[in-house]
Amino acid sequence: MNEKFHRSFDSLQQIFDFTERFYTAESIDPRHRFAVNFAIEELFTNMVKYNAGNPHRVLIEMEQMDGELVAHLTDFDVDPFDVTAEREVDTESPLQDRQIGGLGLHLIPKMIDSIDYDYDEPARRSRITFTKALR
Amino acid sequence: MLDIDFADAGVVMLKGRLDASQSEKAQTFLDGLDQASVLDFSNLEYISSAGLGVLLRTQKRLMASGGGLKLINVNNHIMDVFRFSGFDHIFEVQGAVDP
Repeated sequence: MNEKFHRSFDSLQQIFDFTERFYTAESIDPRHRFAVNFAIEELFTNMVKYNAGNPHRVLIEMEQMDGELVAHLTDFDVDPFDVTAEREVDTESPLQDRQIGGLGLHLIPKMIDSIDYDYDEPARRSRITFTKALR
Repeated sequence: MLDIDFADAGVVMLKGRLDASQSEKAQTFLDGLDQASVLDFSNLEYISSAGLGVLLRTQKRLMASGGGLKLINVNNHIMDVFRFSGFDHIFEVQGAVDP
């Protein structure tokens, strides 16, 4: 199942409607849905924040394969930005030292099972693939 | 969508999803709090990092004046997000009671 979404936070409701249609069609256990929605929102909103003026819509694809949910987010005509690169976020520091922001990409790997980033330089296309085991 | 409003005894009830498209609405409401407050998450299904930012900003402001937020009836998924982000150390958090 796939669909393209306008580059706006306001697209989130349509994205969650899309994921719900997928979950229903593929009979995905409800306990896996929070984590997948979380990963998709964080990756999508990252694309919105860092390429706000880009007119291209973001493609989201979802499939169920070999006991895993596989999701792809593809962003067109963008510079490379590896979302899988290690980002240090101090989650132990006291309240006064906590920074607002930066948690999203840090939390994604804790919610899902794998994430990969691919950049097609000639096409200037970023493609992120993540999996969530459906066990 | 997110609904946020006062319930009985000044408890703030949140209902729906606290995602990036709803964080401004939540922040505007919580900016109106001027003392220690309880947020009831029993009808909050989902939170993302945008929602965490709203809670953190509010907690910093209230703690600076001697207050703070207590988060109650937090579902297991949101509790996981709090643990992964260390929010369980900087907020008073109470999980939902299983039926």
